[in-house]
Amino acid sequence: MSREKTGGARFRISLDTWAVAIALATALLVRAGVLKHVPW
Amino acid sequence: MADSIALPRLQPISPQLHVVRLLPGVALLAAIGYAGKLLEQNVGRYAKAHHLVIPNIEYVLWAILIGLAISNTVKIPDAFLPGIATYEFWLKAGIVLLGARFVLGDVVKLGSISLVLVAAELAVSIALMTWLGRLFKLRPKLSSLLAIGSSICGVSAIIAAKGAIALFTFPLIGHWLGMSDHAYGMWAGLAVDNTAEATAAGALYSDAAGKIAVLAKTTRNAMIGFVVLGYALHWATAGQAKFISNKASFLWQKFPKFVLGFLLISLLATAHLFNKDQLTSLANLSRWAFLLTFAGVGLRTNFREMTKQGIRPFIVGALGEIAIAALTLALVLGANRIFRL
Repeated sequence: MSREKTGGARFRISLDTWAVAIALATALLVRAGVLKHVPW
Repeated sequence: MADSIALPRLQPISPQLHVVRLLPGVALLAAIGYAGKLLEQNVGRYAKAHHLVIPNIEYVLWAILIGLAISNTVKIPDAFLPGIATYEFWLKAGIVLLGARFVLGDVVKLGSISLVLVAAELAVSIALMTWLGRLFKLRPKLSSLLAIGSSICGVSAIIAAKGAIALFTFPLIGHWLGMSDHAYGMWAGLAVDNTAEATAAGALYSDAAGKIAVLAKTTRNAMIGFVVLGYALHWATAGQAKFISNKASFLWQKFPKFVLGFLLISLLATAHLFNKDQLTSLANLSRWAFLLTFAGVGLRTNFREMTKQGIRPFIVGALGEIAIAALTLALVLGANRIFRL
């Protein structure tokens, strides 16, 4: 599940949050037309 | 969530982490996944051209089989391990992107049915695993771990071992019973403990079953905080764990954030923020992410490691899993009659 976020004074982002952020950023790129056609 | 048998846990990615370290393993995941995709296309074509009768094996199974063959025959060099462990990242990103393939109304409808089934599955699984743990005289905390692992999310090698077995048996049972894609997907999502393997077990049946399996498993994952909190409070009362002062913070910390990402993308798709071509692109991105995940599922399953876990925990886990698989199958078949899944 979600991993710990704080490591001492430093703020660390969990794997979950990274996955969500990257997926949402990719979706935005598709929406903006930067990624036009992703084949399968 | 999924843990590795043979691989180290992927540490949280900090900005300081050298992405370069991940590249060999990610390249291996991509190569295995793509090889699976090519094999799916070309084996069928070859068989047709040469009039051979060969069952159609999908890329999901090819990717898992190639990964299994590698991890169980050669020692994977350490340089590949950090990248291979990213399969969990690709799984979660793939689930978020899969949200684009769901209309929010379907998520609410199927999610509500899942929630009822998950509640029943949780109650029976926890009671069963606790009873089996006592019967086989396991340490109470190990019984708790197995109960959480079996009811929601596998974190141990014992649970992961069962997930690998489920990959090969569930689709056969589903076809034998003539289950619909929705009913089978619901069963895979409810019965397979590990998210990666639940996704793979669903996708092995059909694309539609894979979607439903992810939805049902995601509903289960969303419950983990409550179950872990319950156990934590139990052990704290018994004086064997620290008391949790801020329960809301604990629940938020345990809550899988990719569930929120999945719901957000589904909401955006329902609001027609994406056109048809864009939805196709998002669905394909999700498939590519799952392709890397399935390669990782094969690579992380090491049959030698299963023998090192001790026979009693393995028997408890195996008996519990078989009972839970049968119970969830009965639940899904019952729900199918009522809700026409």
